[in-house]
Amino acid sequence: MNDYDNPWLHKLKWTYLLLIVLTLMTPVLYVMYVSFNANGFGANEYRFTLEWYGLIFSDELLIGALRWTLALAVVVTVIAVPMALLAAKYYKAADNKLFPVFLLLAPLFVPPDILGSALLVSFKNLNGVFIWIGDILGTGLFDGWFQLSFLTAAIGLIIYTIPYSFVVILITMGRYRKEQTEAARACGANGWRAFWDIEFPQIRAGVFSASAFTVILVFNEYTRTSLLKGGFDTFTTVLISQMLNTGMSPQSYAMSALVSFVAIAAIGSIIIFTLVRAEALSRVARAKSEPVMS
Amino acid sequence: METSTPNVTDGASPVGSTKSPLRERLAPWAFRAPLIFMTVFFAIPMAMTFVFSVFERTMFWMEPGFTLYAYENFFFSARLTNFLNSMKYSLISVAICFVLGFPIAVFVRKSIPQVAQHRVVLLFILPFMVSEIIRVFALRPVLQRNGLINNTLTNLGIIDEPITALLYTHTGVVIGEVMSFLPFIVFSGFLAMEAVPKFIFEVCDDLGVGPWRRFKDVILPLAAPGIFAGSVFIFVNGLGVALLPNILGGAGAVNAGLIATQAIAALDFPLAMAVSAIMMTTLMTLLWVGHKLFDLTKILSPLS
Repeated sequence: MNDYDNPWLHKLKWTYLLLIVLTLMTPVLYVMYVSFNANGFGANEYRFTLEWYGLIFSDELLIGALRWTLALAVVVTVIAVPMALLAAKYYKAADNKLFPVFLLLAPLFVPPDILGSALLVSFKNLNGVFIWIGDILGTGLFDGWFQLSFLTAAIGLIIYTIPYSFVVILITMGRYRKEQTEAARACGANGWRAFWDIEFPQIRAGVFSASAFTVILVFNEYTRTSLLKGGFDTFTTVLISQMLNTGMSPQSYAMSALVSFVAIAAIGSIIIFTLVRAEALSRVARAKSEPVMS
Repeated sequence: METSTPNVTDGASPVGSTKSPLRERLAPWAFRAPLIFMTVFFAIPMAMTFVFSVFERTMFWMEPGFTLYAYENFFFSARLTNFLNSMKYSLISVAICFVLGFPIAVFVRKSIPQVAQHRVVLLFILPFMVSEIIRVFALRPVLQRNGLINNTLTNLGIIDEPITALLYTHTGVVIGEVMSFLPFIVFSGFLAMEAVPKFIFEVCDDLGVGPWRRFKDVILPLAAPGIFAGSVFIFVNGLGVALLPNILGGAGAVNAGLIATQAIAALDFPLAMAVSAIMMTTLMTLLWVGHKLFDLTKILSPLS
């Protein structure tokens, strides 16, 4: 805030900002609200209950889907975040930045249904080509590599999540000064040690945020997963089929609310963690820079 | 490969020296791995949509050939009208998102202390904590005939009859798009405002420039790359996210994403690929024009 600002105008702008956030959050809060209602969605009477949360774990369809979703989330995060980190380091060092930026950010701009359809047809064709090569060589070794499966869904989701991780990591890397790596190298550390002991601790918050964000994105993604997954069900595909057929079960509301509680807690703790750490660091810095009083 | 391995017969070379050059040669490739992955599984499949779109359709799949039937199917049918209509409504969503969201980005950059800025922007990722399908689906009970909005307005005595235009119409789709994509204009606007130094606001105040001229002549030109990127994002997703017209739209609310997924459900793969190719052409044209006008790499320049 500067001297020219009217304090009331400032408050008004804050109110507007929070109002927009609240509006965007309405569906989320609404789902949470419904999840505690004993009578489920759309009922006239509201009675508080935790029953649906208990029932989540007896809903086999939901639990099976949850297991697949978690497996996808873990695999995608373990691959996509390190790749985004490598890409961010490559980008920082690259002379020609246009090509990597284009390749890494373009998936953001390709709508889910278009990316999903294009990958679906490509994988089906690739699968055909692999079987054809196998036939020529007289081996069944190449069959089914790119049949729609866990692997193809994971590839689709990695493409979808890399841009987000890339940007998040790049933002935290912006504060890192390259001279520190040079100093470490000059002291005899190899590239890996210079990265792991000097650079990584400083960008750790970004890497953790990127991981949390990737897990959440995979958990909530519907279109790409449903087009590329093949046989199994994930959390969102179960939800959609419930919505379009019988209506969502109360357990599904509880499950969605639970996911958002966990996600908000994760993001919240990252914010608090970085806040506390920044505070501690600045206190140390202040203490060091303060003149010694006699 | 073999020719480049160092000569191990040289007795003076230290132990392990045969390994390290290989590792050093491999290291740069590790950094290129993400780009290779993206080329193989993203760029090539997207480019191949153009090839697959001219393949011949068979009963359940397609076979190599050359026919423009899929394009004919798209351009000489109601699909084209629907596509152009969805473009119009997508543009409206972009405008609404910009008007509602961009001032927030300016406010955060201008009036909030630097250390807190990122955290305020982080507030806007909170809606993403719940799956988009649930967020969009939850709009139904809010917008429907006896929904939250109509009930509130009727109870307040503002309207006598419920507004039915809010759901299963183009308006419903626009509301869904704004609710889904508004945070992206805040994010891109926030990145874009990095290019507008804070002292500019003070300079404008000192020179007695009003907010509108400050916005038009100073902020807009400086922040243009980020604004453009955010707008393209919303525009293209408005065209391509099938979920929104599917759940909130009524008759005639059909966008490219819905045409593509419906074509896949009908096993008309060449048509789905033609729609994808048309979308990719639209997107690439927009990005190319934007890059020529504003140099889009500038968006990330504050980070490097």
